[in-house]
Amino acid sequence: MDYFLQNFPQQLINGLETGSLYALVALGYTLVYGILQMLNFAHGDVYMVGAFLATGVAVLFVHGSVAALPAAVVVVLMVLAAMGGSGLLGIAIERVAYRPLRDSNRLAPLITAIGVSLLLESVVQVRISPGTVLVPTNALVPQVVAHIGSVATPVIALVLMALAVLLMVGLDLFVFRTRFGAAMRATAQDREAASFMGIDVNRVIVVTFLLGSALAGFGGVLEGLRFSTVDFFMGYLIGIKAFTAAVIGGIGNVRGAMVGGFLLGVLESLGGGFVSTAFQDTFAFMALILVLLLRPQGLFGERPVERA
Amino acid sequence: MTGSRLYAALALSALGVVACGGGGGGGGGTASKPDKVQIAAEGPFTGDQASIAAGALQAIKLAVKDFNAKGGVHGTQVQLLTWDDQHNAQTAGTLQAQGISDPTVLGLIGPMNSGVVLGTAPGLQGASPPLPFISESASNVKVTDSGWAVAHRVNARDDAQGPADAKFMIDQGAKKIYLLDAKSDYSTALADAVQGYLKDKAPTIQTKRDSAQQGQKDFSTIVTNIKSFGPDWVFFADEGPEAGPLVTQLKQAGLTIGQNIQFLGTDGEEDASLIQKSQGAYVGAYATNIVPDPAGISTASSFVSAFKQEYGQDAIGKAGPFYGSAYEATQILLQAIAKSPVNSGKISRSDVLSQLASGTFDTIFGAVKFNSKGDVASGGIYVYKAGTDSMVVQKQISG
Repeated sequence: MDYFLQNFPQQLINGLETGSLYALVALGYTLVYGILQMLNFAHGDVYMVGAFLATGVAVLFVHGSVAALPAAVVVVLMVLAAMGGSGLLGIAIERVAYRPLRDSNRLAPLITAIGVSLLLESVVQVRISPGTVLVPTNALVPQVVAHIGSVATPVIALVLMALAVLLMVGLDLFVFRTRFGAAMRATAQDREAASFMGIDVNRVIVVTFLLGSALAGFGGVLEGLRFSTVDFFMGYLIGIKAFTAAVIGGIGNVRGAMVGGFLLGVLESLGGGFVSTAFQDTFAFMALILVLLLRPQGLFGERPVERA
Repeated sequence: MTGSRLYAALALSALGVVACGGGGGGGGGTASKPDKVQIAAEGPFTGDQASIAAGALQAIKLAVKDFNAKGGVHGTQVQLLTWDDQHNAQTAGTLQAQGISDPTVLGLIGPMNSGVVLGTAPGLQGASPPLPFISESASNVKVTDSGWAVAHRVNARDDAQGPADAKFMIDQGAKKIYLLDAKSDYSTALADAVQGYLKDKAPTIQTKRDSAQQGQKDFSTIVTNIKSFGPDWVFFADEGPEAGPLVTQLKQAGLTIGQNIQFLGTDGEEDASLIQKSQGAYVGAYATNIVPDPAGISTASSFVSAFKQEYGQDAIGKAGPFYGSAYEATQILLQAIAKSPVNSGKISRSDVLSQLASGTFDTIFGAVKFNSKGDVASGGIYVYKAGTDSMVVQKQISG
């Protein structure tokens, strides 16, 4: 019991930090699913591309001969490049790989999604690097550790978690408080009816991909800044975890994805800390099975309505 | 039918003329020239282990080039196929299928990962004729203990490395050791071996065992476990780049290698790029390896300078741990092929296999002979220490 009490706060923080990453990526899955009822399996790779874009900016300004800029400015440029680049990539993927198949068999866009995923991984692997690429974080973010009681965690991890939460709150406000958010929700409820009401459904879909992908891009920057390395395969596991988080929260539900992400992170770190690290990843998927058995629509999900 | 038989007879006699005309290139005067000789190099040449495997591939290419410069196999130049298995047995199986079906592919250098060997060796053994391989780095005992005649390796085995690693930590005065594996055939077996040896020979040493994931970057849970256990040594059996983020996060948590914690890694961690990837946190860490470092061995000095000449002065530092053993394995395979009889322009894989079983081979690390399992007697364990920019060999140890 002593061991538990001593380590619980630390593992909780560890889990929340990891979970913030899952939540950011899970949002992309859930937004797209909510509107199109399709699983964008290339989402993890959009995250990876965001991380590489940010790393490119960092390497250019830290090691390159381009004008020396203050570290804070470089970080802001990294975030802009990653979110902008990933957002545009998301739009492009939707235009090229999903829109032409929107009215075909439901499996078709799933297959193209997997194709896009493999394509992105291969292009980065062949064109950029087959191994890990170093992010010069030493020159960019202060390597300071925060001590709060018995909990010690890198300041950067806390800052990044706070930023992730801020972005999520922003997204939540956008979806639930703005006119465009209402259009998104209407499209999610019934695409055809929404278009009859004068909603430009294509525009809603494009913005959805932009938002989800930009959040994933930000997640990519986050991972690069925290762990100092990026590689072409980094989107795979987080893609699966984030998808799991989205399903646990109730796929299609924005708040559910956020809660699911944090929940998954915490479950993993507590499981790893107090049960067994060998099964750390298993806890995520056990949670998924439990949720699917007991509440198939997810924690926040609504019962699926069969559409004609 | 008659036409093709006539054609074959003509082709054979033409070959005979060429062989006679070429004159006494091979030993004994009876050897004719093989039409085509291919060998394959297999390893995780891209992916997370690329930085370790790339040097091995460079060495294999160099070994083939050196061999061809001396005349190849009775005058035939050896062609090298490159199979990038990405540390994946399924990918490896697909790649090997093309070699199995082509009888001019006479042998394989690799696979580099134990897990890949264990997944694909039955296929290589079951081929007709079986396709022999020599791994330069697969250390799981099952690689050569499973009774596959095709299986050979030049590196030391886990059952030598585990005890040697454990003994090294005991000799360094370890009191409390945190053991971590990365859930692969190689790393789990090795961590088991270390744990077993410690339990047997040094029962006073406290241990705790955890597992990391391949490709894991977020080690916060594990670092918290390490801190609350409070060890003086961390042992991480790993073949990939995971040690980089692990030691970085240890340092962030206040555990600095060489000051309040010691770190012992294995093959994959004998990788100088970890020093850079961990932004210096890796300096002072030890890593053991199952192959000798050519840079520290006098008979290999001409190979080292040839390697630098071919790939640049800084190539050795980036070559990873297995470039020497890869060159050695390629030398052995090519010599076995050259010793095999040539019948009507063809060398049979079965003959290469029996040459490997019986022959003694001249390599950069001295004379090498395989035992009945396919292991070499001389395989020792070497300790390296991370300096500020390279891994420095400390000494040879053994269990």
